[in-house]
This record gives sequence, C-alpha cells and structure tokens, in this order.
Amino acid sequence: MHSVERGQVVLEARGISKRFGEVVANDRIDLQLRAGEIHAVLGENGAGKTTLMRILFGELQPDEGEIFFQGQRVRFHSPRDAIQLGIGMVHQERKLIPAHTVVENIILGHPDTGTVLDLSRAEHRIAALCERYGFRLPLQAKVWQLSEGEKQIVEILKALYHGARVLIMDEPTSVLSPPEVERLLHSLRTMASEDLAVIPFITHKLPVVLEHSDRVTILRRGRVVAELETKQATEQSLASAMVGREVTLQVERIEVPIGEPVLTVDDLWARDDRGVLAVQGVSFEVRAGEILGIAGVAGNGQEILSDALAGLRPVERGRVRLAGVDITRVPVLQRWKLGLGYIPTERRDVGSIPDFSLVDNVLLNYYSEPAFSRRGVLAASEARALTGQLLREYSVVAAGPEAPARSLSGGNLQKVIVGRVLSRRPRLLIAALPTHGLDVGAAEFIHRKLLEAKRAGTGIILISEDLDEVLMLSDRVAAIYEGQFTGIVPAAEASKELIGEMMAGLRRGRL
Amino acid sequence: MRAQVAGYRLRIEKRVETRWWHASLASVLAIVVSLFLLGFAFLQAGADPRQVYAEIARYAFASQFGLPQTINRAVFILLCAFAFIVPLRAGLWNIGLPGQVYAGTLAAFGVVYLFGGKAGMNAALAGWLVIPLMILAALVGGGLYGAIAGFLRGRFEVNEIVTTMMMNWIMLWLVAHMIREGGPFMGRTAEGEGFSLPLSVRLPQVLNVPLTAYGAVLLALVLLFFLGKTTLGYQIRVLGHSPAAARYAGIDTLFISTLVFGLGGMLAGLAGYHYFAAVPGVYKIPKSYGDFGDFSFYGLITGLIARSHPLAAIPVALFFGGMAGGARFMQGKLQLTFGIDYALLGVLMITMVAFQALSEYRLIVERAPTPVVLPLEREESRVESPHH
Repeated sequence: MHSVERGQVVLEARGISKRFGEVVANDRIDLQLRAGEIHAVLGENGAGKTTLMRILFGELQPDEGEIFFQGQRVRFHSPRDAIQLGIGMVHQERKLIPAHTVVENIILGHPDTGTVLDLSRAEHRIAALCERYGFRLPLQAKVWQLSEGEKQIVEILKALYHGARVLIMDEPTSVLSPPEVERLLHSLRTMASEDLAVIPFITHKLPVVLEHSDRVTILRRGRVVAELETKQATEQSLASAMVGREVTLQVERIEVPIGEPVLTVDDLWARDDRGVLAVQGVSFEVRAGEILGIAGVAGNGQEILSDALAGLRPVERGRVRLAGVDITRVPVLQRWKLGLGYIPTERRDVGSIPDFSLVDNVLLNYYSEPAFSRRGVLAASEARALTGQLLREYSVVAAGPEAPARSLSGGNLQKVIVGRVLSRRPRLLIAALPTHGLDVGAAEFIHRKLLEAKRAGTGIILISEDLDEVLMLSDRVAAIYEGQFTGIVPAAEASKELIGEMMAGLRRGRL
Repeated sequence: MRAQVAGYRLRIEKRVETRWWHASLASVLAIVVSLFLLGFAFLQAGADPRQVYAEIARYAFASQFGLPQTINRAVFILLCAFAFIVPLRAGLWNIGLPGQVYAGTLAAFGVVYLFGGKAGMNAALAGWLVIPLMILAALVGGGLYGAIAGFLRGRFEVNEIVTTMMMNWIMLWLVAHMIREGGPFMGRTAEGEGFSLPLSVRLPQVLNVPLTAYGAVLLALVLLFFLGKTTLGYQIRVLGHSPAAARYAGIDTLFISTLVFGLGGMLAGLAGYHYFAAVPGVYKIPKSYGDFGDFSFYGLITGLIARSHPLAAIPVALFFGGMAGGARFMQGKLQLTFGIDYALLGVLMITMVAFQALSEYRLIVERAPTPVVLPLEREESRVESPHH
C-alpha cells in the first residue's frame, strides 16, 4: 500500500464532457477527490451522476476532458485499468454470483488467485478486512442467503480486497435499514480515516449527506453547480441547489377529521413467489382521511402485503374488508370498482406499459368503465381528453397524450400513474414506494397530491423504505419486519430512532 | 459494438425510438436479401436466378392457371396468419395451426356427412343451409380445439407451444383414421382420400375466386378494428405487452388466453374449410392433407413478417402463395431439385430474425479521432506514489 497524505488530491477529473446523441450528460465537469474524505455527489435523476461515475471507473470514455490519478494523467480503456490503479466501485445493482460463497465472490477475478485456489488464506485476509472496518458477515454463506445490505458489504469488501484506495458507491443507503445505514457509515468513516477517498453517490437522502460527508459536489443537468464543504451547507440549501429553485422539503401537514374505517385487515397471511409465508398475521385498519405509513426495509413482506390487499396475490388466511364489504377473495377489477386504488412499486411493466401511448396507459384503470367502453368499443376521445387533463393537472413533461410511456422520465411517468389512480377518487389508496428513486421536485409534487387525496377523505396506506417520508406524511406509523408488524405508533410518538429500531426488528411496540 | 475501418469509426447503437416504417423496411429487405441469397442455390443448380424468379412471377401472377392457385393458397396462408397473430398479440404462440386446420375441416365435412352428402357427387343437399352450417362447424371445431391450449395456459400455466404442437399430432392421426380405409369419411375410391363434396354444397365463386377469399380480406379489416379499437382487443394487447400489468389492471388472464386461442382456432378452422371445401379442384380431404398442415406454417412466418398487422399480412401471404405454386412449377420446368421452396422458407426465417434485430439498432459511421498518445501504457499503468 502506498501512503498518501491526508487531504492530498487522489483522483481528479478536469473538464469531463460526455454526450449521448443530443443529450449532454456531463458538461465540463471538474471534480477533486482527496484522501481521507467522504465526498458526496448530489444530483437529481438525470443530472449526470451515474455517467460521471462510470467515466471515473473506466466503463465509459469521456468525449472531452482528462482524468488525473495522484497528479498523473491516466486513461482508462476499461474498468480493469481503473481497478489496477486502486479504484473500486460498488454498483447499485449487485454483480455477484448468488450460488457462490462470500469468499468465492470476493476473490473472483483477483490477479493473485492463481490456478489452485487457496481459499483459507483468502478467507483469513478477508476476515482481517472485516475486523479492521467493523463489518460482520458470514464468510462461508452463499450470497443468495444474504440480505441486500449484506450483499452490499460483499461488494465493498471485494473492492477493498482488490486494493481499492478510492471507493465509488452508487446510492449505498437505499437498501438499508436506519441502523444498517449507521453501521455502514461508521465503517466508511474508518476507511476514510485510513486515507481512502470514499465517494458515496447519493440522490435524495440529504440528512445522510449532511451528517456523514466532508465535501459535497452538486450536479444539475450535467454541470457542477456547487462544490462546498458540508459544514457550510444546510438541507435547504442543498435541495435548492440540486433542483435549481426553492423547494419546500417539509410539506405542510393538514389535519382533517378522521372518519369511518375504509379498510379493516384481520390476521392476514400471504405467500411470496417462492411459497414462503412473507406476510404473517398482520392486522390493522385505515380510516377515511388518514394516512397509515408502513415503514420497512425492502424485502420484509411489504410488497406481498400490498399485492395481497390489491388482489394480485391469494390470501392464505385472514380477512380483508373494504368499507364493510368482505373483499378477501374478490377479483381485482371488482376491488377497483368498490373504491380501491393501487400505485404499485414497479412503475414500468406493472404500473405502466412502456410501449403503449399515455392514453392507453391511462386506460389501464379505466378500460372497463362504462364511460370509456361503449358496446365493447373504447371511447378514444374521452380517453384522450382525460389524459390531456391529467398531463396538465400534474404538469407532466411529455410530447402529448400519444407519446409512448417509455419516453417519459421516471418522475413524469409516476405522475401519470398517480394521477390516473387518484382521478378515480378511491376510498382507499395503497401507495407502494410512491417516490422511490424520484428526484426531490417530483417527490414533493407527489407528496402534495397524496395530502390532497387525504383532505378529500381518502384513506391511504403509504408503504415506504424512506423513514423521513413516512414520518413526514403519516398519521400513524407501522413498522414491518420479517412479515410482521413490530408496532403501530401515532405520529406524535413516532421518533426516527423508535421506528428505525422497530424496522430492524430490535424493538416491539403496541399493535 | 464498435469497429474502426480506414479512419472511420463504426458503431451500432440501439434506436431510441422506432418508427413503423423501420419494421416494414426490415421486412421488405429481409425478403429481398433472402431471394438474393437463394439465388446462389439456383446458380449451384445450374439455373440463372433472374430467369427463375421471372418464371415464378410470370406463372404465379400472370398466368390464367397460376393466378387462381396463387390466390387460393394466399387465402389459406392469410387465414393461418390471422390464427397466429391473434394469440401473439396476447403474447402467446400458436404453433397449433395444423391441428386447428384439421379440426375445422373435419367438423365441416362432418356436417356434410350428417346430411348424407357422402352418397355421391350429385346428392341434392340444401346448399343455402348446409354451406353456412359447414362454415359454422369449421369455426366451432377449430375454435374449441384451439381454446383447449389457451385454457390450459391460463389456468395451469402449461406452455402453449408444447400443447399446441402435441395436439397437432392427435389431429393428424384422427384425420387419417377418418379418411382411410373403413373410416367414416372414406371416399369411394378407397385410395386413402376423403369423400368428395356434392356439387350442391360447394361454395360459390365470384370472378373465379371462392367467396372465402373476399371474406378473408374483410376479416383483415375486422381484426384491425377488433385488436386496435375494442375493449377486448385492448385487454389482449395489455396481456401481450405485460402480464404483470394485465393482472394489476384486473384483466381476466384465463379468459383472455382462452379467448385468443379460441379465436385463433376459429380462423385456422376457416382456413381448413377454405382449402378443402371451397377451392376448385379440391373439394375433399386429399391423401396429401399432411402437406397442407405443414403449409399452414407459412401463416406463422407471414404473421411474423407482417409484425402481427392484419393488413400487412395480405401482401406477404400473396408473396408466399405465389412462391409456393410458382416454385413448384418452375422446378418442373427448369428441372431443379425438389424442395427449393422449403429452402426459401428456411433462408427467409434466418434473414427475418437478423433484420428484425437490426431494425431496432442503427449504424453510425463517424470519422475516428486522431489517436491520443497515452502517457501510460497498459502494462505500466500502476502509478508510483511521489511520496514513496
């Protein structure tokens, strides 16, 4: 290992530009990464973060600009060159082999592996790395047995094992529970103190940036709009720089009279695709005008729960009533007609069809309504009028009602889906990760629309992995862990620490 | 993908948006290229490809004998193409065209049998009643047979490709049982053919073309409307694009998959009726009925080339109808090896797949930048720290 002085620039990008056709993804970007610092790169979707990161890792070649490593100009033909210099990357999507053990995954592709595997020596070295940085990981476990958070640690260890001195991380906190985030950041801090430059690329978790980074670079539309020390920043200033205008991070809570129960769930059990009981005896009710937040780390049964409530998955046991009507075994379409609305997690391929026009996508929730289907023929002009109205009301950026859904950005597509579902004026709305992966502006818009629906008397189930979002919007907060609610807490009593611990299964509250 | 040739850099990029004419152009180009490639086979056989294609075209589209044959075959192919297209729009593959053709044919001839039409060519049956009943029976027979695969798919997720293929064999042997010696539909000659239709129940012709031909063109318009404008057509398309979105929207996937296979079977059954009960010179289930089962697969490739578009299928079906008849004629005239028309089908399949993929990409040719002299070569790309 080479020793590098603290604060010295390890990796530097000068004037990096990259175009994809007409789109300028990176426009003369300068970035300096110093040894021993955690450097956050902030930006909305499409601001050019991923492109820049892939250029620094050698996955893309810049059209213009230069990269310097410890003062020397370098050119990466492929990630191999970058890895050789000590740059490691943890991708958002995992690049691991599920059927292999942790150790086997980590040593894969290492130049010293040789022809005959010496797994025990490798395991010792990996165990030493774990100890040094405070990771806890079963090294002999197969990767498929690990949680998402653990898989991420495997990726980090792999980069370190291959000698990384600069670690690039893409949205590292999005799959972790709050206590896991704390642990990860603690480990990153240790690495930084050992003169690794660490760059987590984070979009929307502003509090994490503020608390744990030393320096922030903010990208907007491919350009660096600000580079500053984190000490000088506030959540508000970061958000405004990112979006390019003033944003209200805190939407105003509105108090509306809570009405009759619209949904009553008694002892609900349901299985996932592998036949495992992923929801185990969940009971709750949602009242008119109330938002019940369900907080949980991905993969703890919340998707199965929402699918079961919407009728997309059979219920193993238990009972679901919508405004007094037993809908436990009622088909999907009938539930929609009874006043259920569902915003699914998967925006593409469930909530919308990329190849379809926006009109045809709006019809997904309307094709069986008498006003839109006369004697079996679709009412094209009505559908186009409704779509046009939604595009205006939700300020969707699109070429028009006939534009294909795939031409829309994630945020604009989600606006169309939310608008389509809410325009049915549902009595009960299930919103599953409604702002997941969206940028601040679009998320803020959708929050406001959810609150409008609440004011109109809709009972809302808000399923989210983002604890800040849940706490900001909900009247009551439930935490889900391994298919069970670990507690349901009124908003006034719900602190981040309490819900965070319940999400991690460390604590149980009242049900 | 990139390559560098003589100072130019070639890149292949996925198209951001595809326009309708990309697909049409790809289909036309595929046909042209495969005819070109097949030209080498003719050269090998000692014939001039230009002469071969001219002979085929002249026979198929400009001769008094060949043109009606072309049209009749094209109608058969077209109906089979529709039978393939409707389930494909729901994302399901109907490989059961032969079985459904046979099922429809048997049902239609069953009606004649019940009315005593087996007695002889001159049996006086009430055509105004029996002909519509035959068509109805062909639709019902093919439709029910097709619907089985769709039901199994929707209810138990049984792969429709496997079921339809296996069901083809069941029907193939059932037809054999019905027309061979001792079978109920056995013809008078007892030479392994079915009985001939009485004159009174043969479908009338207009301008030397049976009415089914006009019906098929009309059906293309009906299907276009059905798939594009109706609520059911919409549900079919949703299922075809994303089964998960279909479930989310509350579409009854069991119903839709049974429906599309039922409709597909009906159309294939109608194709069977057309060829065996309405084409002059046939009017029976011939000994070589198995060849027509194979022939129905031209409908499959027609549907693929036409990109599931009912109107686009018409010219493609005419092309194949002409090729099939013309190639056989030309083969005899120029004394070429047997099976050259099947070779065309094979070549066309391969070029189609290649061109379909190609239509989603585009080739970019640009001047390569002058190579930059790098300060670091790959082998020495480890940088020593200045503090070492």
